[in-house]
Amino acid sequence: MNDITLKPSVAVRREIPHTVSPGLWTLAWRRLRNDGVAMVSLAIVAAFVLLMILSGVGLVAKNWSREIGVNYAPPTFLGPDAAPAAPEPAAKSQEPAAESGGTPGSAFNSTVVDPLADVMKEIEAQKAAPAGESKSVDPLADVMKDIEASKSTATSAEQRRATLPFGADKWGRDVIAKTIKGSETSIFVGIAAAIVATFIGTVLGAVAGYYGRWVDDTLNWFYAVFSSIPYLLLILAVAAVLQHKGTMTIVLILGLTGWTGVFRLIRAEYLKHKGREYVQAADAIGASNRRRMFKHIFPNVSHVVLVQLSILVVAFIKSEVILSFLGFGVPVDVVSWGSMLNEAQNELLLGKWWQLVAAGGTMALLVTAFSLFTDALRDALDPKLKGNN
Amino acid sequence: MTDRQGARRALAWLVTAALLVVSTQGLAADPRKVVRDVFPVAETGFDPAAIHDLYSAGIIRAIFETLYTYDYLARPAKLVPQLAAGMPDVSADGKVYTIKLSKGVYFQPDPAFGGKKRELTAEDVVYSMKRLADPKVRSPYAFLVEGKFVGLDAAIDAAKKSGKFDYDRKIPGLEVVDRYTVRFRMTDTDYNLPYVLAHEALGVLAREVVDKYAESDGRVQSNPVGTGPYKLGQWVRSNKIVLDANPDYRGFVWDYAPQQPGDDKLVEKMKGKKMPQVGRVEVYIMVEDQTRWLAFQSGELDLMNMEGPLAPNAIGADGKLKPDLAAKGVRLDRFIDPEIRYMYWNWLDPRVGGAGKPQIALRRALAMSYDAAEEARVVLNGQAVEANFPIPPGVVGHVPDWKSTIKYDPATANALLDKFGYKRGADGWRTWPDGTPMSIKYAARPDTQNRQLEELVKKSYDAIGVRMESQRDLFPELLKLERQCKLFSREAAWIADYPDGDNFMQLFYGPNSYQSNNACATIPEYDALYKKTTRMPPGPERDRLYQEMARILEAYAPHRLTVMRYRNELIQPRIEGYRKHPILPSQWQYIDVAASNN
Amino acid sequence: MWAYVVRRLWQMIPTMLGVVLLVFILFNLFGGDPAYVLAGKISNPEQIENIRRQLGVDQPYYVQLGIFLKQIVTADFGSSWSTNEKVSQILATRLGPSLTVLVPLLILETLVSLGLALAVAYVRGSLSDRMVMIICTVGLSISILVYIIVFQYVFAYKLGWFPVQGWGDSFLENLVHYASLPILIGLVVAIAPNLRLYRTFILDEINQDYVRTARAKGVGENRIMWVHVLRNASIPMITHVMAQLPGLLIGAFLLERFFSIPGIGREVILAVERSDFPVIKALTVYVAVATMLVNLMADLMYKAVDPRVQLK
Repeated sequence: MNDITLKPSVAVRREIPHTVSPGLWTLAWRRLRNDGVAMVSLAIVAAFVLLMILSGVGLVAKNWSREIGVNYAPPTFLGPDAAPAAPEPAAKSQEPAAESGGTPGSAFNSTVVDPLADVMKEIEAQKAAPAGESKSVDPLADVMKDIEASKSTATSAEQRRATLPFGADKWGRDVIAKTIKGSETSIFVGIAAAIVATFIGTVLGAVAGYYGRWVDDTLNWFYAVFSSIPYLLLILAVAAVLQHKGTMTIVLILGLTGWTGVFRLIRAEYLKHKGREYVQAADAIGASNRRRMFKHIFPNVSHVVLVQLSILVVAFIKSEVILSFLGFGVPVDVVSWGSMLNEAQNELLLGKWWQLVAAGGTMALLVTAFSLFTDALRDALDPKLKGNN
Repeated sequence: MTDRQGARRALAWLVTAALLVVSTQGLAADPRKVVRDVFPVAETGFDPAAIHDLYSAGIIRAIFETLYTYDYLARPAKLVPQLAAGMPDVSADGKVYTIKLSKGVYFQPDPAFGGKKRELTAEDVVYSMKRLADPKVRSPYAFLVEGKFVGLDAAIDAAKKSGKFDYDRKIPGLEVVDRYTVRFRMTDTDYNLPYVLAHEALGVLAREVVDKYAESDGRVQSNPVGTGPYKLGQWVRSNKIVLDANPDYRGFVWDYAPQQPGDDKLVEKMKGKKMPQVGRVEVYIMVEDQTRWLAFQSGELDLMNMEGPLAPNAIGADGKLKPDLAAKGVRLDRFIDPEIRYMYWNWLDPRVGGAGKPQIALRRALAMSYDAAEEARVVLNGQAVEANFPIPPGVVGHVPDWKSTIKYDPATANALLDKFGYKRGADGWRTWPDGTPMSIKYAARPDTQNRQLEELVKKSYDAIGVRMESQRDLFPELLKLERQCKLFSREAAWIADYPDGDNFMQLFYGPNSYQSNNACATIPEYDALYKKTTRMPPGPERDRLYQEMARILEAYAPHRLTVMRYRNELIQPRIEGYRKHPILPSQWQYIDVAASNN
Repeated sequence: MWAYVVRRLWQMIPTMLGVVLLVFILFNLFGGDPAYVLAGKISNPEQIENIRRQLGVDQPYYVQLGIFLKQIVTADFGSSWSTNEKVSQILATRLGPSLTVLVPLLILETLVSLGLALAVAYVRGSLSDRMVMIICTVGLSISILVYIIVFQYVFAYKLGWFPVQGWGDSFLENLVHYASLPILIGLVVAIAPNLRLYRTFILDEINQDYVRTARAKGVGENRIMWVHVLRNASIPMITHVMAQLPGLLIGAFLLERFFSIPGIGREVILAVERSDFPVIKALTVYVAVATMLVNLMADLMYKAVDPRVQLK
């Protein structure tokens, strides 16, 4: 029979009302929209992400490292400390005079010739020049001005505020600014590292669970070797290899060491599903291995992956705290929740709780929102798993 | 119960009571008196030659004895005889020391002695010193004896060649004159020998004990057998060390003169007592600050050194104990530890080190940018003071009101850098005089306090436009680079081995590079003066030279002195007679426990 | 099946070799040189060489590697470089305290998480389900460091219900008195994430077709839960529990540090800080062997629980 398909528009095509069945994600979104908790969580996460972006481009918390408060300034709602931390009086005379005579230091006439003597004299002379001198004469004018300017913001105790909205840390830096900047760092580290780890673990786990045999053996070998090394040694090694000690180092450390759990789980899932009827059915219709792996099995496994991803985000944000405790956290010019909690560890026993509450509370808020949203997302993605039957 | 049984019982009780009375007669120490102390780091072992840390040294001080020790209350620290019968007899040229030993000093009983009582003799003293020099033992304190005694270095060389140290070889510098007399012949005038003889590394042990218990590395870390007031009881590694009073210890009578305010009451309570009184010392290892502090507060500890981070909990800004603790009867013993900290820059680096004017200027500028007072106040929570002189208080040669020419002065620092061509680039950071971008590497250990130190250094360098580069690594790595003179910059610390200024001034002596001279700095004027001082006895003349040397260090700025820390010892009310000694690492044999608070 | 077991045991050898090589390379390149730390305050290069010779690190790499392999076969890793204590003794004495905390913790945590997960799955979708999940989520967002600090302060110090720290001599005393607060903290920290995960596994199964079929056939809800659902959900659960085991030992180091428990976790940190290679070597080898055995057991249990799983 000659094929009708080759003859265009020979027969009148009857218009059958064609309803496009909504795709997986549209359905999911509809379900999500109806879930109150999910929407609130999404809003919170979105707010944090927005904050992260604003902080990243420098619109907020840009000057978080400026010491605008006195050391350990309490929050404004608590009121300033009763007596400002008075500087330690100079070594009291309670230490005994140990030396056996000799001229006191202040009046000591040294015969030592200072190699920089003439230069120092010049500088002293310039400093002593009266303030009214014309600026063009003094070669150090602008430098001196800078010094004076930074001095007034950094060192003069009177000009530093006695209280800040949520207190100050040990150096006098604003806790709120630090928290915002810290959010940026911690969230970035958590998400980036989780993506790295989940990707590695899922791909390796799928391949291992699906193909079995020597592929599985090899990957299992790799996994066993990897997970046997003490975590600390592994961290040291990765840190030493990645010489650049920045935030990306932390992401890679966590990502490259954290995939083992995902691997194990996904491999188990693939092992389980491989024996299922629908996979055998796919085999019967001639689907290729890769197709079976990723088009057929993966959607049934994706919710596990998603849950693992969210758990890892949370885990890595918390791991960053432990890394900071061990000393392998962010560098000194970067602030994260981990570095704040690390500082706060001793502060708590001194009664200074604000940094702990700010970092801990913000972290708790984000992590809770993130987790709740991911739960809802998972429920929405797979109708078979919907909570209410 | 029959009459017979009853009588037997009564007899048993009687005999037990009698035995108890008899057995405790010889023992001044009351086993019911228990003192609980704490170490913040795990111990390593108890071989005097293998001392590695201050805390193991504390245990060794309680178990072993040295020729000399320190007077418990005298300040500044004063030597008194322990195993020696008196102060040494020194020849006119200061090179020959003759020391007589006390008779009747016995080692604690041990199977190594074959069931016999073993008296300590001059042979043991000399043997212990030879052990320090034995390459196989690789003692960290070998430097105390190396190069000092006639003939000892030859013996060490022979040991390296043959692979074994000949302990029977006679060494002229370590002479056994007779059973109770030793004579030391020094290679050069050495006024510090008595101090060396008071160091825990020279604790005297017996050859039989080493022969019996030595491990594969020649050390006896787990079987300390000494002549001292305590012996090792239960030992749970890295967790708990128990010391029991040594029943065969000869004891001593507490008799020290008061020195500081508050000593009078102490002396009143303790004078005339037969020591040791404390029958049992339990030392716990607690690594975390919070754990130690909470344990002390809940009464689980009797003594504790209050470290920096939590100190404000117990000590007010005025340096006195907080009222709530004072009300409970807790006491505070507070003084500046004989330790200095200093930040150095690698002298061997061509751009930062050396005696060239631009390099000196750079180092002086870096030194002036740093606010040591802020380190003391913020990083160390006020539990330190600025260090101005290389010798700390309590050590001979210290100058109390020394005004250093290196002061916190960022303005002058900036001016200096400008003058020598360290111009600011387009990004605001300074460059080397030839225009290439400049950065100063600073190495710090990864713990909390060092991180804060790093922050302070960064702040300081930022204020003068110098970019700081962080070098974070494990301590063993940093140490290795430092010993190879390859570490760029770090804050180092040195605590006194003995209370003489020489122990500190040697830190900056050129030939000590690759060892204790961390900056690896060689300043000819300094070295010449140092050599002179090693031949002088302590006194005003030597002090003057030390002060000249201090000025040299300020002028050339191979380093910047930073701080000296306070030691804050907290003492529970039930402990009597406790006065923390600046040099002695432990002093449980000098204290008592109030009977009512058992 | 026995062929499978034997095959897996054979496979442990290349894995062990991989571990050995990796640890050896890692330590020698990045682990730090212990000679300088052991040398003391003042030392000259000659003394350093002496120490390195005594430790055996001056030998060429292949010799050191050969020694390492021999040590594994004879299970004798020598002595610690810093304290000279025999490594086998270190492990033997530290294992006890660690297990006294970890075994009760693991048992309790699994039982409680599982029980709660089943209960929550039973009332899935209800308000209690939601509330419990939210509490869990908040709970797991707080760092373990914060829990330890706050719990030790409040329950041990302020309220005096537990000792602040320490470890005794008798097993019973340790279990009941000293280990209770660490176990409690570990429990609180572990329940939250486990509960969420187990709930997921169980709900996974509940919504499978065979459950619907069973219900249609009139099987009781209880039987469905306890017999059918549990059996299938147990596969990922077993995986999860097993995967945690080897890492637990070292992961408990925070608890051991704060509560002064002389366990293995603390020992590892100490060894790494001191660059004490013999201890690190021994621990790594033992953890590796434990991991492999545990993985093997887990796979065998899959087969026992789910006959459809093919072990290839």
